[in-house]
Amino acid sequence: MPASRSLRPLALAAIAGALALAGVGCANAGKGAAGLFSPRTANALTVATAQIPDPGFWAGTFAHPTGGFEYGLAKQLAARLHLAHVKVIEVPFHELVRGHLGGADLALSDITITDERAQHLDFSTSYLRAPPSIVVRPGTEVADVNAARDLHWAVQHDTTLKVALERSIEPTTQTLVFEHQREVLVALEVGRANAVMLDLPVALAYAHESPHKYAVAAQLQSEAQLGVALPQGSDNVEAVDSAIRALKAEGEIDRLGHQWLHANIEEGAAEEVPVLRAEE
Amino acid sequence: MLALIELSSPKGAPWEFLVVFAVLLLGPVLFRRAGIPGIIGLLVGGYAIGPHGLSLIGAGNNTLPDLGQLGLLYLMFVAGVELDLNLINKYRRSTISFGILTFAIPFVLGALVGFALGWETLAAILLGSLLASHTLITYPAVKEAGLASDPAVATAVGSTVLTDTLALIVLAGVAGSVAGGRSSVEVAAQVAVGLVVLIGYSLFVLPQLAGWAFRWLGTERAVRYVVAITAFLSAATVAELFGIEGIVGAFFAGLGMNRLVPNEGQLMDRIEFFGGAVFIPVFLVSVGFILNPSVMVKGETLGLAGLFIVACLGGKAIAAQISARLFGFSRSQAGLLFSLSAAQAAATLAATVIGFQLGLFSSAVVNAVLVLIFVSVLASTIVGTRASARASSPDGPRPLGTRIVVGLGEPELALGALTLARRIARADGGVVHPLLVVPEAAPFAPREALARLSEVVAAAGVDGQALTIVDRSVLHGALRVGRAQEATLVLVAEPVPDDDAQSTATPLAAGAPQRAWERSPAPPVAVVRGNADRLGVVRVRLDDDELESPSIAAEMARRVASGSAQRLDEDHAEWSELLAPGDVTFVSSELGDTLGKLPGVGDGLVVSTVAEWLIREESARDTPPEVPGDATLG
Repeated sequence: MPASRSLRPLALAAIAGALALAGVGCANAGKGAAGLFSPRTANALTVATAQIPDPGFWAGTFAHPTGGFEYGLAKQLAARLHLAHVKVIEVPFHELVRGHLGGADLALSDITITDERAQHLDFSTSYLRAPPSIVVRPGTEVADVNAARDLHWAVQHDTTLKVALERSIEPTTQTLVFEHQREVLVALEVGRANAVMLDLPVALAYAHESPHKYAVAAQLQSEAQLGVALPQGSDNVEAVDSAIRALKAEGEIDRLGHQWLHANIEEGAAEEVPVLRAEE
Repeated sequence: MLALIELSSPKGAPWEFLVVFAVLLLGPVLFRRAGIPGIIGLLVGGYAIGPHGLSLIGAGNNTLPDLGQLGLLYLMFVAGVELDLNLINKYRRSTISFGILTFAIPFVLGALVGFALGWETLAAILLGSLLASHTLITYPAVKEAGLASDPAVATAVGSTVLTDTLALIVLAGVAGSVAGGRSSVEVAAQVAVGLVVLIGYSLFVLPQLAGWAFRWLGTERAVRYVVAITAFLSAATVAELFGIEGIVGAFFAGLGMNRLVPNEGQLMDRIEFFGGAVFIPVFLVSVGFILNPSVMVKGETLGLAGLFIVACLGGKAIAAQISARLFGFSRSQAGLLFSLSAAQAAATLAATVIGFQLGLFSSAVVNAVLVLIFVSVLASTIVGTRASARASSPDGPRPLGTRIVVGLGEPELALGALTLARRIARADGGVVHPLLVVPEAAPFAPREALARLSEVVAAAGVDGQALTIVDRSVLHGALRVGRAQEATLVLVAEPVPDDDAQSTATPLAAGAPQRAWERSPAPPVAVVRGNADRLGVVRVRLDDDELESPSIAAEMARRVASGSAQRLDEDHAEWSELLAPGDVTFVSSELGDTLGKLPGVGDGLVVSTVAEWLIREESARDTPPEVPGDATLG
């Protein structure tokens, strides 16, 4: 049998298979190249966050948010996903990281992407680098890790910051652990603690807003990143992920960083904060 | 005792390289034994060791992807440097037509698929462009089958320039429109300027720099090889400066270096060796590395993949069929067209990843494209293997400059002849083999002679293998080796004039057939008298009967002077007085007459063709005619 004839059944089968698959593909029409988003509330993006106001990230109130990096990001996401409104609800941070979003489509709350949290949540690609940083009262020096070890520390419960503090600094005194970020900062202000650990973009925003109260002394060597958290198994992950990549490519995330965090976290101000030296 | 031994699990660079090289070694062998093309073995091997297989190399590893990227640039460089530019020029009409068809049909079909699925305009256009490009994955196999100069192969290879450039222009336009908010006009302008700069750099600056490097950095094998690698990496960098994919730069670098790297030369041998053994297979392994069957077999992914396969392979098949009918190609040649233009890898992957980074594509689209890549490589390999087996290798006349043997007695006095030979060979992408002929009576000192020869060869920019032979005369030795090496031209530098030859010389037979050298079983021979560091004015003096039909002398003069040789007629009886140092005159009158007018060394060069009867007479004195294998030193 000529070679071309022996190939013919194979070729016909391959073409038939491809056409059948193409039929399946046509059945998926309308999902969009970048994924389809189905909101819980019609024509609105429902966003969960733990704290408003949160300097640099959220301004206003839950009922009437007025600005901030993550609020701006939520609005951009809504526009990108063809939704007219952004609805914000309050959910405690420890609930968020356990995958309880209170019925929201997604959470924007300075959430660092970790493997442990990924067991309860689906994450988008990251939108901001966020290494742990040491915030002190202006005038307090933190020369190296030995000096940091002897400070009195405060940190928020259930955060990657607490883990970083325990692993990288190993404080010699009892660390104060609080439920909310604002309690951590109050402890620093009133002198119960002389150092606290915050995500670098958050720390820079606080230091910019209240330079007489806070100074960013150092950052830890880390690849920590903030990401959008979605309920595990959500069908919306592809669409949100694509939208975040598009916002990055379009420069929108940089623009929001400049507007609300007063610095380009990816390149500029973050590099001016010294990395904590391991030993003196 | 055993308790003292603490073994750790294998990791780090040695382990990763071991795993990759094990795939390079075993993948193709095992699959070929099962009757499956070796390329598939590399792809499947890449998947097996990757994060979605046995995870012997993790997802965060950059070594294999980076090596794969280098392999991809290498592949495109090899495709460019191996192209027979004369063949591309000869088939330029079919090349351009097929290039347009094989881009336009899948592009339109792909864009229609995107629109039918309700995608954004930019996403649909990007999908069309990524389906329209192709990668020459099956080219090494087709070349191995001896089909590199087949018209259909030349057409498909040449069309790669067009399709990939167009696809990457669309990609740059889409990327520029999304990122940075630039208008399509601005993006198109940047790409256009980038292409002009890239072409100028690759085709004009790079050959000059590389030629200079070859001459001044010597003939060391390693140095010449590194120059070639540096050349295509520099062109890829220039391309990326303008937002053009590096593979376009590597391809143009190959085109620019095409004449400097003859296909039969030692440098090409090294390029092919390392490319075939390591770089190109590693690229294929790196493609397999990203395959993720668990995602690829999802319904949505497979559905999209089916549409992409129909649009891409269907479009490529239609383009191949139309082109085959338009240009009278056979069915097997149509198969070669399809095989070479259907495989998706490099440009497709680059465009898909960029589309993903821009947020235009979801991961389902990326995985569907990976399915397409796998299927297209499989289909093109199977079709290519079948078509290669059915196609016959073209057996046309070999051009004059394909393989030139330059016989010489004194290396230092042969620079002019070698430079002439290089120019004659360059037009055909041919190779020049310098041959040192040591007289039988002379003391033989091969090391010293070869060392001196190497210096002269480097100065002349010649890349062929240096040979030595002991014989009774330079002419005789050159003739014997020329026949043994199947040379297309033998040049003899500084021969000692033979009294008998001068006295018995008669003119070449009148009415010689047109381009007789292409049909003659013995290579044509010319003697070169004189020497020069660089060439000056080029003249050619033809007999009356040669004015009507092309002669070897005229052809050599045309090549050396790039078509601007001054023609002398019989009024210039004292043509030898016109010679200044470096000037070269080609003559094709009888040997005795010519040799009588040869200048002294330093006055210029005279190149005289040798009468066929003399060649036959010299050859007849050979007993035995074969060149001993151990006479060749390298």
